Amino acid sequence: MTVQQQNLPSSKPEEHHIHFDMRRFVREHILRSWLLAVWLVVLTYITAVITWGQLQSATVVTAVVILIWAVTLIMTVYNELRHKHNPMTLWLKANLYSSITNVLLTLLLTLLIFAGIRSFFDYAFTRANFSPIPEVSDAWEASYAETGQEPGANWGAVIDNMRNMLVFRYPQEESWRLYAVLGYLGVMLLASTVVYSQERFRRSRLRRAMNILWVLTPIITFGLLLGVAVQPELVMETLITSVVSIAVLGGLFFFTKWVTTQYPVAWLGLVMGLIWVAMLAGALYLIVGNFSVKLNPDQAWGGLLLTMIIAVFAIVASFPLGVLLALGRRSHIRGVPAWLTYGSTALLTLYFLVTSTLPGLQDPANLFAIILALWPLAIPVAAYLFQKYFKGNVVAAFCTVYIEVIRGVPLITVLFMSIILFPILLPKGTEVLSTWRVMVAAAMFASAYLAENVRGGLQAIPRGQYEAAESIGLSTVQKYRLIVLPQAIRVVIPAIVGQFIGLFKDTTLIAIVGLVEFLGVANLISAQTDWLGVRREPYIFLMLIYFAGSWVMAASSRRMEKQMGVGER
Amino acid sequence: MAELSPTPRKKQDSIPFWRDGRVIGVFGQIIFVIFVLLGMAWLLGNVSDNIGELGSFRCPDGTESFSCGFNFLGIDAQFDIAESVIAYDPSDSYARAMTVGALNTLKVSVFGIFFATILGTFTGIARLSNNWLVSNIAKWYVDFFRNTPLLLQLFFIYFGVILLFPGIREAVQPLGLPVYLSQRGINLPGLSFLPSSRILFLFLFAALVTVVIIWVLLGMREQRLGKSINRVLWCGLAFVVVMGTGWFVATAVPSSQAIMVSSSLPVSSFEDIPGVVAERLGVSDLAMVETAVADGSLEAAAVNDAALTICVVKGGAPETNLANQLIAANVPYDVDRSDRIDQALRAFEKGECELIVGRSSVLTTYQATLENSSQSSIVSIDEMPIRVSIPRIEGLNFQGGIKMTPSFAAILIGLVLYTGAFIAEIVRAGMQSVPKGQTEAARALGLSEGQRLRLIILPQAMRVIIPPLTSQYLNLAKNSSLAIAVGFADMWAISYTTLNQSGRAVQVFLIVMASYLTLSLIISFLLNWYNRRISLVER
Repeated sequence: MTVQQQNLPSSKPEEHHIHFDMRRFVREHILRSWLLAVWLVVLTYITAVITWGQLQSATVVTAVVILIWAVTLIMTVYNELRHKHNPMTLWLKANLYSSITNVLLTLLLTLLIFAGIRSFFDYAFTRANFSPIPEVSDAWEASYAETGQEPGANWGAVIDNMRNMLVFRYPQEESWRLYAVLGYLGVMLLASTVVYSQERFRRSRLRRAMNILWVLTPIITFGLLLGVAVQPELVMETLITSVVSIAVLGGLFFFTKWVTTQYPVAWLGLVMGLIWVAMLAGALYLIVGNFSVKLNPDQAWGGLLLTMIIAVFAIVASFPLGVLLALGRRSHIRGVPAWLTYGSTALLTLYFLVTSTLPGLQDPANLFAIILALWPLAIPVAAYLFQKYFKGNVVAAFCTVYIEVIRGVPLITVLFMSIILFPILLPKGTEVLSTWRVMVAAAMFASAYLAENVRGGLQAIPRGQYEAAESIGLSTVQKYRLIVLPQAIRVVIPAIVGQFIGLFKDTTLIAIVGLVEFLGVANLISAQTDWLGVRREPYIFLMLIYFAGSWVMAASSRRMEKQMGVGER
Repeated sequence: MAELSPTPRKKQDSIPFWRDGRVIGVFGQIIFVIFVLLGMAWLLGNVSDNIGELGSFRCPDGTESFSCGFNFLGIDAQFDIAESVIAYDPSDSYARAMTVGALNTLKVSVFGIFFATILGTFTGIARLSNNWLVSNIAKWYVDFFRNTPLLLQLFFIYFGVILLFPGIREAVQPLGLPVYLSQRGINLPGLSFLPSSRILFLFLFAALVTVVIIWVLLGMREQRLGKSINRVLWCGLAFVVVMGTGWFVATAVPSSQAIMVSSSLPVSSFEDIPGVVAERLGVSDLAMVETAVADGSLEAAAVNDAALTICVVKGGAPETNLANQLIAANVPYDVDRSDRIDQALRAFEKGECELIVGRSSVLTTYQATLENSSQSSIVSIDEMPIRVSIPRIEGLNFQGGIKMTPSFAAILIGLVLYTGAFIAEIVRAGMQSVPKGQTEAARALGLSEGQRLRLIILPQAMRVIIPPLTSQYLNLAKNSSLAIAVGFADMWAISYTTLNQSGRAVQVFLIVMASYLTLSLIISFLLNWYNRRISLVER
């Protein structure tokens, strides 16, 4: 089969006659070691058994497969022996028939794959029910019960629950909001592909407008999905407030421009900034106060919609937080001096030893209570570690501890914490909807992981870039905003997309904490009276959706990487 | 020239303190600390406000104190746990219940890491196979499991596969192996260790020491002679010789196992038993019973009536020892299990069974306590150090072997398949990171394939593999918390029950987070230590 000789160049065309040394072949490919010989015997036996079984259960397909296998094998061997391959046999030789093991494995695996496909096809199509009407489905099941055959997939449950799976209990009469969001996002994506890919829009107003629109997109979609609307009796008022606000802000804009050009003093700029903040906040307060939210997300949001909302929110919200955490963890500001740290910890420790440990040790119940009472002794240890590893840098210590604690615990505990612990951490009487709590928890969780990704990117930036930025006189903020972060984030885009895919998959966990997202709906289907106990089919459907979603994201990330030239330069 | 020399610094030239980076840094940090402390104080204030109502920090004397927060750990848990590594009872404390949970998490993590590593390594190598089909199947496996959520896979495995297995009577035996798949989970053959296995373990230890010594000595000899010695062969030979001796010694020592037989069963040695049972059934040879039942000449009920009834202590190795010998002799038997030996003895005394099996010393002491001790006799039986215990359907349950409950099977299989896919990619990347020239150089030096892998490829690939592998192991340990979705009582599931029952939310979360952080630290510490050992020493 594969005599280890290269295809000799055709300098000797007359050598195309077949030359095969049986003894040498056996010595080299079967009896090279006793392990190989035993393995070949075992493999041959398994292949024979499987082939025999398949021949009985699916005669035609198996016979055809064996025939094709035999013909291609003979062709490959023949071409190999006369040292003249065509492209097909060359490929076959390299990929399927390179050794005796591979020849047998190829047949075995092909048969097994065909068997798998056949049984899945049987389950998913031939014996399946596609009718979402319960009566038809019942009749289908009964017909299989009569013959004693195993029924296939009941896709009716999935089809019947399609809307539930996608948006769950989103009110039917508000469906237009979903279409509006879809339409808006579709138009934005389409426009982006045009605007961002073409060179002539590079510095145009259109592109700047698109940027602003993209920044506003989360707010717009949130507003649409929540059913934010002006209260009907306040429409006039809102209009007037908006017009007045815009006019005032416009006036302020020109005034600021005039003032800052006339009197370029630093403190004046600060004052103007403060005025801006105050005016903007006032305008927003006046306008937003007139709006009301129509839908309660705890009830209206569900299914794939909720999954997408949480995943997108978590990744978007975690971005600024993650960048800050990464910068904080890497900050090199001069730390708190050791004398201050140790002095204050000594005082604190003494204070707690007196107020907490002494009463605790008066009447300890057991050893555990004694250990618990001695907790203030941990303060100096913490102070020592803080000085040793962070050199007194409080910011770095805080960010590191946050990142490592969040990364060290499972997501599910963080989610449960948001459900159970948030109400305890907030002032008495504050009620926050579960959806918001879970979203905040997901964002907090994601930010720790994102921080590590961004930190990786920051570390990849050569020192020279920092030094160059400093040497041309940029301030710290400018240095990071203009030089470091753009490069760092470009480097970590693949990692961030990977993280988003992970988050997209991890949102399934909120099904456990009681929100009905995509997987939650799939779990509920089996409890419907029409589709009692139907579990596999919704899960298979979900797997397809998740697989397709993740796959598309991964593919587009690879394309984006190529476009942005990550890994080059 | 004079202009070039630095002008002496005047006082107003020095950086004012509000622009001095050092001062700003410390100042900013102090403000940061104040903000953090204020935030924490606010949260703690809210906590104490809210918790006052819940009463979860109340001391026995009625006052509220944070130091009393963990007193609840001593209260009775009062919930049952389906499976546990250590003995547990609902009357045990919450602390014990949470320990059970922690051990269960540890169990899943350890088994999961072990099997996921094996699966991942094989798949990673399969990804690099020169057979197009093999590498593509591996690729699709990896792609599929990496791109679908773990929780979804767990639900599918648990609800869509394991719970849909047939009932216990129709348990599936894949490929005819002694492995049973049923609604009750997965039952596998296991090993039972009889008292004489201690000798075998001593020999095992001796064998390992011998192997290490021979390995080192041969290595020195190899260097001295400059000749290659087949160290694996010699060490394997030494191991087999020592273990063989061990087995011989362990089986040669007098048996510690015995049966106590009531006078209704007239036997004086184990060899008599088949004859007695055959006589009861009216057949000459017990080997024919099965065929006789199959062709209808003998009724199954008759066989059941004639079956030997045995009293044993639950889960003991003596039972496996006797059962294996009875099965070998084709003797039909029924087992009556008790929790303790005295209960088993009482059952024997009442005549519920014809014989009782256990250690001969134990049986002798107990025989004296029997009212009519002369009615029973003690017969010694053979003992093997290690017996294979094969699961056997008895009534509505499996007896013997290793039991995997559906929940445990689901979480273990799910974690192994999911993490295995990630590990496969890591292994593939590691193997591919070794330059081709290394392989060629190894071949040029005349190293064998095994030596090439062991000495050249693996050490270099390991450096690339270990760091991401660490994070995968950590992920597996953390993902084991999804066990709550399939009803396996792991750390988080039990903590959650504790939380719901006791209402101590803050404390339970603190304990859970501390436990998971500890687990993460242990895993990363072990692998970092290993990584330091194998990593390249630069400059």
